[in-house]
Amino acid sequence: MKPKLIIGIIAIVGFTSLLMYNFGNSISTYVNFEQAAGMEGAHVVGQWDDSQEYGFSMETKQFSFYMEDEDGNVRRVVYPKPKPNNFEEADQLVVIGEMKNDVFYANDMLMKCPSKYNNADEAEFKRAMPSKS
Amino acid sequence: MIGFLGDLFINAAFVSAILAAIGYFIYAQNDTYKHFKISNWLFGLQGFFLVIASALLLYIILTHQFNFYYVYNYTSSDLQLKYLISAFWGGQEGSFMVWILFSIIIGLGLMKWTREPYRGPVLFFLTLTQVFLLSMVSGISIGDFQLGASPFRSLAEAMPNAPFLQSNPDFVPQDGKGLNDLLKSPWMMIHPPILFVGFAMMTVPYCFAMAALWKRKYNEWVNPALPWTLGANVALLTAIFLGGYWAYVTLSFGGYWAWDPVENASFVPWLLGTAGIHTMIIQRKSSTSQKASIIFAILAYVAIVYETFLTRSGILSDSSVHSFVDLGLYNQLVVFMGAVTIIGLGLFFYRYKELPSQENESKLLSREFMTFAGAMMLFLIGLVIILGTSSPIIGRLFVENPTPPEVSFYNEWTMPLAIIAALMTVLGQFLFWKRQDAESLAADLLWPVAITCVATLATIIIGDVRDIYYMVYLLAAWFAVIGNSVIMYRLIRQKPILIGGTLSHVGFGVLLLGILASSAYNEMLLDESVKKYNAAIERGEITDEQGFQKTQKVDFLELKLNQPKIIDDRYKVTYEGYTLKNQERPGQQEYRIKFEPADGNGEQFVLNPQVYPMLSSSSQSNIQWSVDPDVRTGMMSDIYLYVAGSSFVERRNEEAKEAAAERRGESNASATKEDSVQVQEISIARGETIKVGEFDLTFNDFQEVDNQQLKDSTIVAIRANLKLTQRGSDSSVPIRPLFSIYVKENENWTYAPPVPIPGYDDASIQFTSVDPSNGGIDLKIRGIDTKVEEQWVLLVAEEKPFISVVWLGTFLLMAGFSISIFRHWDRERKKG
Repeated sequence: MKPKLIIGIIAIVGFTSLLMYNFGNSISTYVNFEQAAGMEGAHVVGQWDDSQEYGFSMETKQFSFYMEDEDGNVRRVVYPKPKPNNFEEADQLVVIGEMKNDVFYANDMLMKCPSKYNNADEAEFKRAMPSKS
Repeated sequence: MIGFLGDLFINAAFVSAILAAIGYFIYAQNDTYKHFKISNWLFGLQGFFLVIASALLLYIILTHQFNFYYVYNYTSSDLQLKYLISAFWGGQEGSFMVWILFSIIIGLGLMKWTREPYRGPVLFFLTLTQVFLLSMVSGISIGDFQLGASPFRSLAEAMPNAPFLQSNPDFVPQDGKGLNDLLKSPWMMIHPPILFVGFAMMTVPYCFAMAALWKRKYNEWVNPALPWTLGANVALLTAIFLGGYWAYVTLSFGGYWAWDPVENASFVPWLLGTAGIHTMIIQRKSSTSQKASIIFAILAYVAIVYETFLTRSGILSDSSVHSFVDLGLYNQLVVFMGAVTIIGLGLFFYRYKELPSQENESKLLSREFMTFAGAMMLFLIGLVIILGTSSPIIGRLFVENPTPPEVSFYNEWTMPLAIIAALMTVLGQFLFWKRQDAESLAADLLWPVAITCVATLATIIIGDVRDIYYMVYLLAAWFAVIGNSVIMYRLIRQKPILIGGTLSHVGFGVLLLGILASSAYNEMLLDESVKKYNAAIERGEITDEQGFQKTQKVDFLELKLNQPKIIDDRYKVTYEGYTLKNQERPGQQEYRIKFEPADGNGEQFVLNPQVYPMLSSSSQSNIQWSVDPDVRTGMMSDIYLYVAGSSFVERRNEEAKEAAAERRGESNASATKEDSVQVQEISIARGETIKVGEFDLTFNDFQEVDNQQLKDSTIVAIRANLKLTQRGSDSSVPIRPLFSIYVKENENWTYAPPVPIPGYDDASIQFTSVDPSNGGIDLKIRGIDTKVEEQWVLLVAEEKPFISVVWLGTFLLMAGFSISIFRHWDRERKKG
């Protein structure tokens, strides 16, 4: 084999494996609040627990709420930004951050909303009706 | 009836497309001109049917026929005309229609301009992609299997399980759900259509590559394919730019790029298309890289279909802010993607052996090698982004239920590749126009390198750049700008039509400079106390109530009404209030934030961020607010801010909550409220303004009273001309309470009825007496919370340096590509 070809193959294999290795490190899996303890950049999926206090505090300049993860653990989540648009609408939340002393400090938050792109489910449809007619 | 017609025409178009594809196939195989003619008619017929179907869709949207699911789901009767039109592509089904429409227009062009031997196969493959796209909106059901989702399906068809539809299948809702408030933007009018122009045009290089493989003519196809590929490129770039600009100026995403899967979806085909353009150009010049040109042409379109699959199959719904949810098209999209890939790569490998390969290897310092290597860099960047975007699928190799990669993954991998690409643009261009060896190249590059070093050093010193990596990046970017400018200058003096490539490369360098400046040197505008607090957090000195260390910084700017704050010794920022007048959206407040230079010299300006209730998702008890940022665009830096909260919004939320509690029948609450109506007596002099709760009350003057309204026995009657203003707002109401004295049975009586305050239940002002000594008056105010409320606004404000440079780089890229279109198009036309 020609030496150039060998160098080329080594370069491709090297690049690909480095890329995949780095990719593997930069993704993680969704966890629950208990597993999130001690993790950095933990992604927790769950639902907003609307039975408890929530809101933006002017003193601490933080938005805080309670969230129930998929395994039923409820924890307080603190988010240092304003309450996102669509927060109450979201049927699922993804908070990204770290767990400290039973409080989850989220640096980022994604909302999965029953948005306009979604098929209208019946519950939503029923709720929409009375106010219009 | 319209629904039936709509479905009929869509499916007529679908059938025509299938027949046309068959006809083109026969024509391509046997060169029978008759089949070409017939297929052209069928193709035209397909376009005709689809135009009618689109007109019908537009008609049912404009006439608010809410019995159609599409109309119900994306529009409402209060939408403005421009947003009703935008609703056409607001949903998946309509956006497929737009895509096909553009594809048909392009097909007509190909029919006219494409020459033998490529004409037949090109049109066959184009029609084939249209067959796939039309199958997404066909809506035919065969047994349990449903082919696509028609935009003309009724509510009952779309939601067969809804109970109210089961009891009354003909039920028509009064109003639709409306367009998402965030999409109500003028950008919605143009961004999606241009994107689909790009998608449709990117089909053309794929078709030509396939035609080349079919007809075994591997060289000439790049000539006609080049202008189309360049056109697709400009369209995609424009769409990406519009999307980025939209995200920046009207959505509060905080920037123009976030590596969101939907953004990547248009970026990756652009990168692969650009890689294809590079290899096509050297193939044209030197008859090398035939394989690479074909592969990139195939991959660019595969990338479009793959990213369409990712964003429309619902697979990304966890990781993207704006991906579609599955419409049941998952399998169809998989088939589409599989077909495009397998046919493309299958034919490529089938022909692989006979594809021309290079006899002698290119030297390292040759335009062939440099251009090819540049294309590889673009391809690798594309690969990295595809990998990141595919995390829900590929990530399963590593973990179950994978999350999207961190943003740093994209940045860390694209940055070095971009640096290498930037260096190559200069070497490639210096070798492109003149054969050079190492020595002559070094001599030629002496001055550009020297100027680059000076520019880089100056940037490092002025910009206080500390990071060594950024320094290298700056050097590469400046080198691209300066080196390519030199070549461009030489070309302009010889033959200006040839500058497209160099201009694009200058644009690329400028873009790199802008990206670094605007993303790495972004600064939050904060006042001194917050900065000190954040510094303390960084040092780990702040603890919470339980004694744990706090790590989250505060990134807000809080302003009290008319109390300026100094920021960075540069700006004096004042909140001057808000207005509710003349707003585009109902209930919208526009805030006035004034920026003055801290030292008093220089220009002052006002930013007007807005807050509005999202009508489509708010309810009476729970208002959902959305924000519209405002940006002050400057040459050196932009100031970007949006309102995170305000006293007005807080109060409205409180009111909504109280109103909801009352409606729930908590009558005791309202009873106690009745007892505790606040009564306040004040004296006010003429011309004076005093604070009452959340209001400013001004007593302007007295006013004459029309006698006819009064009793005959009245001896004194006067009105007070008052003005009641919500503090911070410019909307005020005039209130004119009456004070009169009349005689009854020889006694003086006063008649002074309380005047209600508009918009407030149980609140009133009564004019109780006049103080004759000084002309002041006494008022009795009921039902207003007397605590003086402070008016405040909470801002997220950032200074983003050199965003203008990002736009400039983008425009230069667009201009460069556009010039190249003219050059290659012109040459092709002259040939014919």
